[in-house]
Amino acid sequence: MSGEEPQQQQEDETPPSLERRVTRAGRHVGDRYVRIVRPIGSGLRGHGGRYVATEQTMAATGTVGRAWQGLSAFLIGKRLHSDAEADERIGVETGLPILASDNISSSAYATEEAMRILAIAGTGALVLTMPIALAVVFVLAIVVLSESRVIRAYPNGGGSYLVARENHGVIAGLVAASALLIDYVLTVSVSTAAGVAAISSFAPEIHPYRVPIGLALIALLAIGNLRGVREAGVAFAAPTYAYIIGMGAMILIGLGRWYVGVVPPIAQPPHPFDPAGTAPLTILLVLRAFASGSVGLTGSEAVANGVPSFKKPEARNAVITLVLMGSIFATLFLGLTFLATQFGIRPDADEIETVNSMLTRTVVGATSPLYFIVQFSTAIILLLAANTGFTGFPRLASVLANDRFMPRHFADMGSRLAFNTGIVVLGILAAIILTAFGGSVNALVPLYTIGVFLAFTLSQSGLVRRWWRLRNPGWRVSILINAIGTVVTGTVLVVVAVTKFQLGAWMVLLLLPLIVALLYSINRHYTNVQDALVISGGEQRLPTLGAPVVIVPVARIDRAAMQALAFARSVSPNLKAVHISLSTEGAADFQRRWERLGSDIPLDIVESPFRSLLAPLLKYIDAIDKSDDRPITVVLSEFVPRHWWEWFLHSQTAMRLKASLLFRPNTIVIDVPYHSHDTGDLGPRPG
Amino acid sequence: MQPKRVLVALAGTSADPDVIRLVAPIAKSARANVMGIHVIEVRWNLPLDAVMEAELDRGEQLLESAKKVAEQAGFSLETELLQAREAAAAIIDTAVERKCDLIVVAMPFRKRLGRVYIGRTVQNVYVNAPCAVLAYRQEQNA
Repeated sequence: MSGEEPQQQQEDETPPSLERRVTRAGRHVGDRYVRIVRPIGSGLRGHGGRYVATEQTMAATGTVGRAWQGLSAFLIGKRLHSDAEADERIGVETGLPILASDNISSSAYATEEAMRILAIAGTGALVLTMPIALAVVFVLAIVVLSESRVIRAYPNGGGSYLVARENHGVIAGLVAASALLIDYVLTVSVSTAAGVAAISSFAPEIHPYRVPIGLALIALLAIGNLRGVREAGVAFAAPTYAYIIGMGAMILIGLGRWYVGVVPPIAQPPHPFDPAGTAPLTILLVLRAFASGSVGLTGSEAVANGVPSFKKPEARNAVITLVLMGSIFATLFLGLTFLATQFGIRPDADEIETVNSMLTRTVVGATSPLYFIVQFSTAIILLLAANTGFTGFPRLASVLANDRFMPRHFADMGSRLAFNTGIVVLGILAAIILTAFGGSVNALVPLYTIGVFLAFTLSQSGLVRRWWRLRNPGWRVSILINAIGTVVTGTVLVVVAVTKFQLGAWMVLLLLPLIVALLYSINRHYTNVQDALVISGGEQRLPTLGAPVVIVPVARIDRAAMQALAFARSVSPNLKAVHISLSTEGAADFQRRWERLGSDIPLDIVESPFRSLLAPLLKYIDAIDKSDDRPITVVLSEFVPRHWWEWFLHSQTAMRLKASLLFRPNTIVIDVPYHSHDTGDLGPRPG
Repeated sequence: MQPKRVLVALAGTSADPDVIRLVAPIAKSARANVMGIHVIEVRWNLPLDAVMEAELDRGEQLLESAKKVAEQAGFSLETELLQAREAAAAIIDTAVERKCDLIVVAMPFRKRLGRVYIGRTVQNVYVNAPCAVLAYRQEQNA
């Protein structure tokens, strides 16, 4: 043995390190210096086994990778550091457009939804619109008061899901979560459909294209949200405030005209309902109108669910946003309903022009800039209402994923600290629903509100139980508020479920238990996996394994095969090469070439007269496995072509074999790639 | 003179980018190998191979920046981080070991007691290096 061998062996056994220190003597005594060889250019910073990836580490290297990264940076912005999470939080002024736009925007169509139901009983029945609006606002006041209690009790967010889970149990929590998930998807679909309807009110020629336009808008919103919550909020703030100011100005002008008695000519719908009505005015019809009007209450849960999105003090900012949201909605909704009923506006049977459009046309005239401002800002805010879904769904999904009720990807933050999986999945689901319902608001609304009121009822009743259990100071007031909230939201839930059952609510009621079962089964899977993987106290030592049995399938004797065989020999001495031959002559020929190679590795040759490579090989591995207790390791040599399109020129046997062995128990698969441009072997590299 | 191996000593001052751009025409015309080094000076109360995290991070960052400046200037810069008791000795020893025929040192414009202050590292390299030394002094208002 030469003197260099132990040194070589010692170097071989050195664990890999990102930092190597070499001491050099220098020319003079005392001039010693240390050369620090570090991965400059990798962007990995740190020392002594602890390293941190930097922005440079994340930079793509290949042309395709760089192009993709450039496109991604253009669409969703530059990658953010995790420390920027605090900067991504929102204040009240940004929280209002992000989390409250759904509720505020409901004022754009809540009046019409109630009127459309009442109009079935004839024009005379429309006088009931105002009392119904007052009832909706009363329910909203209860909801706002109750939700403010939810925020104070659960300042870490989670909303109805967390409240229901903690106080009623897991199933109730999952019911609330499922209801909210459905509601968020519908929020996106309904709001987008309503936004397109608002645009088609002053540009009727786009009406036939409402579905593709809606889909494009959903894609735009998804991209906006992938850019991060704060940036989305900044972009969406201006239209929300423009809507509030524009609509407020229109209501003030309308009220002024009504007060002085100067009533302009009333705008007529292009296709009015039958003035005499097509059905009698029954209690059920009034309840249906109330149920449709209470669509205006949707979105009020988003603030309680999104408390962690707020800047500190989170709970206080959330409550301020909630109260502002309720006040703005109530003012606009009551103002619009009052003017619509006082001026005798009637809904359009074909949904081509909205009630708000006709009302604004009546008050300020079709050529007034305010008309365009109101219509345009209405369209924008209805689209932004969809943004509430994009804020709520991913956050709730992440909470569920952290609790292992949804796939883990939903809890992963993307490059802009947004929950990308949730955003993309929500966009896809909303797009499917929008397409399935032909982009009609009227067809989608019956599906809506059930989820919200189910979640409200569960969280309100959950809080009643919580106050009763804890009996903190002031619990009597809290329990009273939440008890009233339970009764009111529960009543609305029953009304909505009964009156809209045949119109489509049955779909939601059918979907709910299915989603609950799905979430529950996901959790059961994760629990089983954890049970299988978790290390108990006594097992906290690395097991010692013997050398495995290594099988190297060899198709032909070439460089790729030689590398795989050399590597296999370094893994274990229990090594066997196997060749599948399609003919007897081929087998004999291969045997001769193997002998010429002079290798000490034993070879088995399996003839396959049915010309299949995989089946005999898999059976061979099975047979070896049955005859030997040691784990099987299959070392595959795989040729990797230089260009992606060259893949099609190769049979990819190794790839197919890998796929076949992936789920085989007691089998380790090692892939030894051989790159077409790699002229070296796996031995130590110079330098 | 057409140097084939150039060693650029980088101290992490504002003069570093200037000196890399200064070397660019030499590197390109002579197709010279250019190496940028930064020496972390270790105090005598610490062992020579002590891990000084802040200095290592700073050194790594300034070498990465230097690499980028070199790339923009159109040549490739090899980099190395060293630890020594005295920077000048390590710079000269590395130049000797790598058979460099030119050492480039940079200094920002500084004054002490009313006179331009060169600093002991630049002075020692200038006096003791066996190869050619190019010293770059930054302009007054840089």
